[in-house]
Amino acid sequence: MNAVAAKDLSVAEPLTIEPERLPSAIGELIRDGGRMQMAYAWYAAPGRIELRYLASRGPREEYFLWRCTPRGAVPSVASICPLLGWYEREITDLFGVEFIGHPESRPLVLHQGVHPELPPFDPNYPINSELPFPPADSGLPQVAGADVQRLPFGPVRADVVESAELIFLYVGEHILHLHPQLFFKHRGMEKRFEGRSLASAVVLAERVSGVGSFAHALAFCQAVEQAAGCVVPQRALMLRSLLAELERLYNHLHYLGHLCGTTTLKVGEAEGKLLEERAKQLNGRLTGSRFLRSLLMPGGLRRDLEPKPWLGVDLEALRREIAAYVAMLENTNSHLDRLITTGVLPHQLAFDQGATGPIQRASGFDRDLRRDHAYAAYAELPLTVPVKTTGDAHARAQVRIAEIDASIALIQRILPLLKDGPVRVDCAPPANSEGLGWAESPRGSLFYAVHLGPDGSLARVKVKSPSFSNWRVFPFTVHDSNMMDYAINEASFGLTVAGCDR
Amino acid sequence: MPLWTFFGLQKGKATTPWPREKEATGQQGVLGMPRFEPERCGASCNDCAAVCPTAAITVEQDQQGKNRLAVDYGRCIVCQLCVEACAHEAAVASFDWAFGTRERSDLTLSPAVPGASRKAPERATRDGFRRSLHIRHVDAGSCNGCESELQALNNPFYNLHRLGIFFTPSPRFADLLLVTGPVTYAMHEPLRRAYDAMPEPRWVMAVGTCAVSGGIAAGGYACGNGLEGVLPVDLYLPGCPPNPAAIIEALLMFLGRAPQKIKGGHFVE
Amino acid sequence: MSNDLLLVALAAWLVAAILAPSGRAAILARALLGLGGVSALLLIATTLPQGLAAIHLPLGIGPAGAVFRLAPEALWLLGFGLFGAVLAAWLGPPERRQSTWIFGAAASLIGVLGVFGLQDAISFLVAWEIMSLGGAVMLLGDNLAQDIGRPVLFMLGLLEAGAVALILAFILLAAHGNSLSFADFASAAASLPRAEQLFVGLLLLIGFGAKLGLLPFYEWFPGAYGAGSGATGAFLSGVVLNAAFFALSRGLIDWLPVDRTLSLSIAGIFVVAIGVVSAILTALYAFQQEAWRELLSLSSAENGAIAVCLVGAALMFRQDGLMDLAGLAWIVALLHLAGHALAKGAMFLSADGVYRATGEYKLVQRGILTRSPWIFGLGALFAAMSLAAMPPQAGFVSEWYLFQTFFQGFHLTSLASRLAAALAGAGLALTVAIAFATFLKVFGIGLLGRPEQNGKPVSGATALAVGGLGLLVLALAVGMPVWLNALAPAVADNFATAAVDKMHVGPLLVPATGAPIRLNGTFAFISPSLLAIVMPLLAVIPMTMLLLSRRFAVRRAAVWYGGRDQDPRKATTTALTFSNALRTFYSFIYRPTVQTEHELADQSNGQPYFIRRLVFTHDVAPVFGPYLFAPLEKLVGAIATRLRIIQSGHLNFYLSLIGALLVIILFIALL
Repeated sequence: MNAVAAKDLSVAEPLTIEPERLPSAIGELIRDGGRMQMAYAWYAAPGRIELRYLASRGPREEYFLWRCTPRGAVPSVASICPLLGWYEREITDLFGVEFIGHPESRPLVLHQGVHPELPPFDPNYPINSELPFPPADSGLPQVAGADVQRLPFGPVRADVVESAELIFLYVGEHILHLHPQLFFKHRGMEKRFEGRSLASAVVLAERVSGVGSFAHALAFCQAVEQAAGCVVPQRALMLRSLLAELERLYNHLHYLGHLCGTTTLKVGEAEGKLLEERAKQLNGRLTGSRFLRSLLMPGGLRRDLEPKPWLGVDLEALRREIAAYVAMLENTNSHLDRLITTGVLPHQLAFDQGATGPIQRASGFDRDLRRDHAYAAYAELPLTVPVKTTGDAHARAQVRIAEIDASIALIQRILPLLKDGPVRVDCAPPANSEGLGWAESPRGSLFYAVHLGPDGSLARVKVKSPSFSNWRVFPFTVHDSNMMDYAINEASFGLTVAGCDR
Repeated sequence: MPLWTFFGLQKGKATTPWPREKEATGQQGVLGMPRFEPERCGASCNDCAAVCPTAAITVEQDQQGKNRLAVDYGRCIVCQLCVEACAHEAAVASFDWAFGTRERSDLTLSPAVPGASRKAPERATRDGFRRSLHIRHVDAGSCNGCESELQALNNPFYNLHRLGIFFTPSPRFADLLLVTGPVTYAMHEPLRRAYDAMPEPRWVMAVGTCAVSGGIAAGGYACGNGLEGVLPVDLYLPGCPPNPAAIIEALLMFLGRAPQKIKGGHFVE
Repeated sequence: MSNDLLLVALAAWLVAAILAPSGRAAILARALLGLGGVSALLLIATTLPQGLAAIHLPLGIGPAGAVFRLAPEALWLLGFGLFGAVLAAWLGPPERRQSTWIFGAAASLIGVLGVFGLQDAISFLVAWEIMSLGGAVMLLGDNLAQDIGRPVLFMLGLLEAGAVALILAFILLAAHGNSLSFADFASAAASLPRAEQLFVGLLLLIGFGAKLGLLPFYEWFPGAYGAGSGATGAFLSGVVLNAAFFALSRGLIDWLPVDRTLSLSIAGIFVVAIGVVSAILTALYAFQQEAWRELLSLSSAENGAIAVCLVGAALMFRQDGLMDLAGLAWIVALLHLAGHALAKGAMFLSADGVYRATGEYKLVQRGILTRSPWIFGLGALFAAMSLAAMPPQAGFVSEWYLFQTFFQGFHLTSLASRLAAALAGAGLALTVAIAFATFLKVFGIGLLGRPEQNGKPVSGATALAVGGLGLLVLALAVGMPVWLNALAPAVADNFATAAVDKMHVGPLLVPATGAPIRLNGTFAFISPSLLAIVMPLLAVIPMTMLLLSRRFAVRRAAVWYGGRDQDPRKATTTALTFSNALRTFYSFIYRPTVQTEHELADQSNGQPYFIRRLVFTHDVAPVFGPYLFAPLEKLVGAIATRLRIIQSGHLNFYLSLIGALLVIILFIALL
């Protein structure tokens, strides 16, 4: 169905570029309609750091990589492509590479005041040594005006939520500036991949972001499969798509319940959470894991599943309940009132800061990795991508509601198409190979860049999670808004901190 | 304008009758920790130990050359790799997920003293809290899976409130500090402060394998090995993540309202 | 004896005025100011119930010479204002160069004495101008602001506009009465047609209202007070405000006749309306101020407006023949201004104390109270309580009486009057509520809070002065049944009623009710005298509980902030955030503006995302400034630009102008 199917899963050989030419090259790319995706660093050889920049020249164009070897400090491109700002700060923290001319050159991943003896990714870093985090000032802008109040909320917040410190500069009801101090939950997962076997690495990938387990494992497996050049059997591809949509389903239902919680629609919240529980129980019955874990391996699935007899029926019953619920939500004026015009994300801001996923689609971008760079079995499946242009909380909710419908329709389409066959194939990537895998997780585009070392074990795995991109975007929708709308706005983004912090 | 109250009433009671009805846990088909039968091990086979990502399984040879299998369930992340690797059916998949214990040693299946009775656990001195427990949750670096299951505790299906157990927004009102995550160095101090801010009597619960022993993220440059050495733990619940029924079982066991199901590494129904 | 005291006071002030400009002997000059004030206070103490008899001064501008007579109400108002003035002179302004200030203070005091005592139009006007200019000189002498000229000029401009109105009024009255003496103005007014009477009343209201802060004249208050010191403020809000009120009340009550043909008093209703609206506006704007002087200045305008309201009520009651209630209203105005002068003086001196300790006049939580002597806190608390109308202080007594007066508006016969009284009561209730919040803000944010490191306390002298004034406020309230008797002859004089006797029953204060409700202690009463005994006894209960609770061991843990350190200083309530809710609620009056400017990081290259600095500014828009004064300014400026032609600089042109002028004079002389 989709003509770009053939070349989707491949990525061209990286282009070498001199560090000094980076700013102009990236500037040209953006002017010609291209887009940067991410940047990372790795030790290509002992003592030699190499920087990689992932980009695409157009929405459905193939991805390509720039690589450059820094000699000393590298010119920063954050003022040309703002979304790369965070990636550069992360590289500085973890690898020690300095970027000249960065407008916000403060630590990102390691907090201010944390001084490891060596950059953590340095091969000589003393593992299992404790790294103290002294209390320090965060990177708030200076404030002129004695009446501005400062509310640091967190990192231990008031409900069963993830740890993150949100610092508000506000006056009464009016929020002047929000500064999220994230990375309290930084576990250094990328470094934990190094040296692991592939089976163990899939298990690790599943636990980078718990509610995106399947998407992370899928992206990792696809990266390894690309490095090995193996072809996954058709049944496995179909089942992979089915499971990815099941994960999207329970995540979006949780999102709707949580959103109702913030607009204090109590019965709506209860119903949303109940539907999420039904979806998770469905996952448990089908796969033995409520989070769809322990299923994937490079080359296919670890074991076969038998969804046909009952999944279609149960899913249809669930769909009817969801439809009734959503119809009521869209007719509840008090709920909609709190969503419409709240937390507007303008189109240009979404592009500049690299918003991804339903948030991006709610601000007018027609992008979806399942369609633009089809993976698993998506090339053969009909996919509707909902797009809204208002960019407010209501638009983000509507996009997700449409995606729920699309996911259920996809699963119902996959079920009759499932044919018997093997679900795995051997997959052994050669030494010194690399692969790029991606998936459209419930929160947006997810990339895994996998490098294998001389002995065939993992040398470097870079995880670009959608929450890392979207947390950068979020504060800009909060500046100059008001306190009452804050919780609703945060819920309407539906981000995870674990995915961002890794 | 739809009538949500009417809608809710129409839906009826969505809460599961568990724990009154034993089978209605809602975890049909959900796999738990693997069960081990060390007698079935093959000679000098350590396939399960080699494949375990968290080194939860150790295999030693004893004088007779037999394999001595030791499993620390506190490190098990329920990935089922050992079950798939085992060719002798010594490690089999099971549906045992209710692994809450008061003693850390109850989570270890050790060859030294197989099945010997541990010292009887002390009577719970939590009489006043039996039907009213307030919990403060602190996320010390989890992957969000445990939070997802903890948030599910208040959905209509599990409805934690009916058991008299509540989550509070401040440690000042809390009796139990529930910690998830391997305790990243950044969260070390905030976790410590949350504990200090609780009035006595106070207890600590480690939920999830990450909090019990560090899980798969243990070590490295950014996090430790769970709560060991950080806070005194009164209740352990491994699992990755432990499902809401397991969490409820562990809490009820802690309050003396349900029996502990695992002793000396053996799961007893 | 009393004349000698008066002479001592006057002489002391004159000598101070002469000594001051020399620059040396500043301490002696201030001492003379204080001495003069003490002498005047002694005079008042000895002559109060009856008043000072008339003295004929040989020198005077009019043909008959000047008459100087201090009525009892003049003595009352002058006395209470002088407490604050004496202590302000003792403490002096915060800045080094005080010569100008002392000269201005002496001029003010002399002018005030004249305004209270002189009984003919021309000498009164001279004294009025000396008083105004003295105030301006004091402000200039404070030398505390960069741009001091503009606000002082604005103040003088409005005061002079008022002075022009006064001159016009006096001309109208003098022309009809053929006499410049105030004693003849009553009959002169009676002979005017009704419309002209009302016009004269309006002119008097404008003239004295410019000083009292009635709308639209209160707009000079924040600028002018904000450029001066607290000592100047104590003068301007104490003696000077009282003098203006005295003159206004005499003008409206003594001079304007009662027109028996009407059932309602148009003047009364109009004065009440102006007073209420001024009070509401000034209270609202006072609440939004963020510095001591501006806030206290607008609060003074508010209290002046309340007193004016009461004068209007007196006029309304008098029209209906309810002399008891009219007398009650008038006495309440006097009580109100007495308590206000003491308390405001204390607050202004506290402001100066804060300035000396911290270097600025802004309302910021710095914990000054904890560092300063306890007497300072006591005095400031009593003064703030009085201005917020909390029992058992003097402000509470006068506010209670205020509402009792307006509640008895049902005795009035005409519907319009009753309606006016009811609406005034409602408006004043709003004012009082906002005033309460305002003084909570002043005391809470200005004096309380977490103590800073290296903060200086308020000096001992300031503490004593503030403490003394605060204790005087309490004494005024507690001893009210006694002090009221001092006003009995005054009210008998003006209203032919023994209203004072009907205002207290033993230690209880009761409203002097008009017929037919019988007077006794059960209708409505308050008693600060008894409260002063009961309230400390009530404190015994919580103290006992505190002592008993010491038996239980307590584990202290750090405050829970979510796991991180928090500097509580960064999250304290500020002056803006305290007032923010009301600012939003009344935004149709305030029209607030909020602006956040983002300064971008240097390397942003035009991207708006990298914010280095936030500049936050906020403001409220004044009501009359843009709509009345700005257009007037533009008009005057336009006219001035047109008239610039005269300043051509050519000698021949000037000579020709002089020639033309001579020709015109010739013509006028020949006609």
